[in-house]
Amino acid sequence: MNEYVISILCIVAINTILALGLNVISGFCGQISLGHAAFYGFGAYCAAKLALLGWPFTATLLAATLATGLAGVFVGIASLRVRFDFLAITTIGVGFVFVGFVRKQKWLGGELGLTGIPHSGLSATEEMMLIVTAALLLVAFCLYLKRSWMGFGFSAIARDEDAAQTIAINVPGFKLAAFGIGTAMAGFAGAFYAYFSKAVLPDTFSFVQSVAILTAVVIGGMGSVIGVTIAAVILTLLPEWFRFIADYRLLVFGALLILMMFFSPGGLAGLLEKVSGGRKLE
Amino acid sequence: MKNRFLPKLVLATVMALAVTGAQAQIKIGFHAPLTGPSASDGKAAVVGAQIAFDWVNASGGVLGKKVELVVYDDQGKADQAIPLANKMIGQDRVAAAISGGYSLPTRSASPVFQKAGVPYFAAYAVHPDVTAGGNFAFRGVLLAQPQGQVMAEFVAREFGKKKIALVSMDNDFGQAITEGFKMAAPKLGLTLTKDFFFPLSERQFGSIIAALRAENPDVIVIAAYYFVGGPLVTQIRVAGLNQPIVGAQAFDATQFVSIAKQAAEGVFVVNALARDSKHPDFEKFRAEFAKRAGFDVESVGVLTYDAAMITADAIRRAGSEDPKKIRDALAATKNFPAIMGQVYGFSPSGEIHTPVEIVRISGGLHKHYKIIDDAALLKPAK
Amino acid sequence: MLFEVVIKSLVNGCMYALMAIGLTLVYGLLRILHIAHAALFTLGAYAGVIVANATGSIALGMGAAILSAGVAGVLIYRFAYQPVLKHPHHVPLIISVGLLIVLEDGFRILFGGYGITFNDNPYNTATVAALGITFNYVEIAMVGSAVVLIGTFMAVVNHTRIGIGWRATVSDPQMALSFGVDPIRVRYMNFLIGSALGAIAGMLLALMTNLVEPAMGATLSYKGLAIVVLGGLGSVRGTLLASLMLGLIEAMGSLYLSDHLDPNALGFLFLIAVLMFRPQGLFTRA
Repeated sequence: MNEYVISILCIVAINTILALGLNVISGFCGQISLGHAAFYGFGAYCAAKLALLGWPFTATLLAATLATGLAGVFVGIASLRVRFDFLAITTIGVGFVFVGFVRKQKWLGGELGLTGIPHSGLSATEEMMLIVTAALLLVAFCLYLKRSWMGFGFSAIARDEDAAQTIAINVPGFKLAAFGIGTAMAGFAGAFYAYFSKAVLPDTFSFVQSVAILTAVVIGGMGSVIGVTIAAVILTLLPEWFRFIADYRLLVFGALLILMMFFSPGGLAGLLEKVSGGRKLE
Repeated sequence: MKNRFLPKLVLATVMALAVTGAQAQIKIGFHAPLTGPSASDGKAAVVGAQIAFDWVNASGGVLGKKVELVVYDDQGKADQAIPLANKMIGQDRVAAAISGGYSLPTRSASPVFQKAGVPYFAAYAVHPDVTAGGNFAFRGVLLAQPQGQVMAEFVAREFGKKKIALVSMDNDFGQAITEGFKMAAPKLGLTLTKDFFFPLSERQFGSIIAALRAENPDVIVIAAYYFVGGPLVTQIRVAGLNQPIVGAQAFDATQFVSIAKQAAEGVFVVNALARDSKHPDFEKFRAEFAKRAGFDVESVGVLTYDAAMITADAIRRAGSEDPKKIRDALAATKNFPAIMGQVYGFSPSGEIHTPVEIVRISGGLHKHYKIIDDAALLKPAK
Repeated sequence: MLFEVVIKSLVNGCMYALMAIGLTLVYGLLRILHIAHAALFTLGAYAGVIVANATGSIALGMGAAILSAGVAGVLIYRFAYQPVLKHPHHVPLIISVGLLIVLEDGFRILFGGYGITFNDNPYNTATVAALGITFNYVEIAMVGSAVVLIGTFMAVVNHTRIGIGWRATVSDPQMALSFGVDPIRVRYMNFLIGSALGAIAGMLLALMTNLVEPAMGATLSYKGLAIVVLGGLGSVRGTLLASLMLGLIEAMGSLYLSDHLDPNALGFLFLIAVLMFRPQGLFTRA
């Protein structure tokens, strides 16, 4: 297996985990978040900094994941104060503040970011297997989560928050849990990314990246684990296949978004549901 | 028996040779931002390098073979660069690679080429990390920090021991220039006002200009790309500030003059392409570039042209397609007449040793003004 | 110096206001975050420059800007938003983002990534002195347009039949319909006016900097979102005040805080802080 295929598989896995995490927050629990890239970045910077301080691979991954989850819970408090569009804009703001802060801090490398991140100790193939396995495990986890009592709480909140409150669902608790889980996943992906690319820069985690992650979730079908996974894989591979139409790439991408929203707002999952006569794609 | 066999053998051999001959091209990998916000620079980069190889092939190629530029779009992003580099190495089997892109992707790709033992020539990416990973990476421009130091040297020589205001974009290029300038300033007797930084997206500089007016410097030194620098310089002149302006390499673009118009007159640009260059190949290149790109020559195009020419020359000198031998030949480059400036050679870590051209904008054109050529100043530290 | 900084930042704020009004109008009416509005800002600027360069008249350019953006805005409503109004919230949002990407890249492909400039633009170099500060003509125009146009709009909305009809449509389309107000006409007007104001802002910025580039609307658009929220649900007055406030905060920030935080992020930081204490925004009556 040549290096090209290995690196592509890593990126596919990372993007899938990112999309799955956002799917928990926005798809399962209905809390729209347009700043998910900030948590991706948080995890990446944590891991990079710890690795540069000499921490071993496993410890950094764990620490970065946990720290990001905590940060996510903190940001999730915003969802207790504002909803829908206001929440959307607040999360956009979180994204901009994260990048704006990180690019000015000398101890985080400033504009140049953190580089020279030490090797993970695994070979390229082993790294790839790790992240792909993690992605698959997380797909299974999300499927399980959806059917669990927590998943039920999430979907009640997504459907009608006030009604959920009246049947004694701990709305704040569940919202924060959704944020915590979803952002921890992003943090894990970010930590892996730090080792994969050996450099962590502010601009990688911009609003455009948040939109890209949201796109995967929306095109897959908000709430559908399999749909979101398929969408993340395809959207990552699409730019590879479209090299021949290189100049029109962004045009095609934007058009896809628009067309999908027109013809199947439920995303791929919605499409498959219609085609299979009502059977939901999990 | 023998007589019937021999012709078939000969035919088979000739066919085999013909087939391998048809595939005998030397592939050189190339990436540039072909889509996204820097797409125009990407286009300029590809055109420059392609002209170089077309001319090389027209005069017989290298080692009897044609050189082929294998072009990829790095989208200006870091994460695209790694699979691209892997593709060039693993699938295209390039003998060497040229970066026609910015620092983000170049920096990510560099360790990949280092590990694979394939020489990598960064035409204009300025981040230090590009060459830091080993001796397979080379750079065709001065690092931003030394550029800042040279700017300080120029300002001191041209204007004397004066009060300088540094106004710069807050990205890595701007910050490195500022750092370099501030390092050199004290020994040259230059005093500095407080630093002024602004984001790349800024277009209205009212508050900075008000503060500049209050500081009242003798010379204003600016590090900004044309789309921020243009408005900035216009607004500075409109506000009635008439101090001489010295711009960093980023003012090199023709668009800078289109935007700033009259305000650009008399502005000095350090480390730029003189549009009235006397290099023997320049006019021919300029015409061909304009024909292919649809716009007037930009230094990015010249830098990739030079990078391609130096690479072809290195392969010739190596006498082989072996990447390691090419790397050694690149490292041994001496006194190559690149359009951008004479290349004296490369340092052990791959940094270029070349003089700095200073232009002054006059009649709307970047015209040659001075060259700074002190070895002590310009020879790379490592 | 501080005085000059404050005054100049208010000029900036006026441009934000002209831009953000379009977003507020759409949000107030349809609860859609019209992110694609940034592309209309840019479209106006491109149309303006091209016509101005072709005819030699900047006034004609401005006319072209207003016309093209106004029409495009209405078309966007009719074909991109109207069909999906009944769908969940994120659908028009994603479509808006998709539109922005398509249009921005379209500009780059059609007009080149380096941007285009005015052949002959005397306005950003001609100056006038007032209050001890030098203003160029474009800055005066920015403040003037904001005051005149937004002022007129508010007067119309509050005191004329059309205005009352508009406000009715915002609060209750069904009721408005039963009173003979055509919500569709109102929406068309809405997009027309909002886009036209955005185009004016775009053209003025282009005159100011002498450059039109594909992505010139992007950052402004995100800030516009922050302004709309700060100003409160669809409130024109609130948007105006929030725009001026943002201009001021950014100017102060870029002078004193640029070592610690990117000035672009300041507006958002302020927004987040405000929303945590006043989730309904700064200027709405709760």
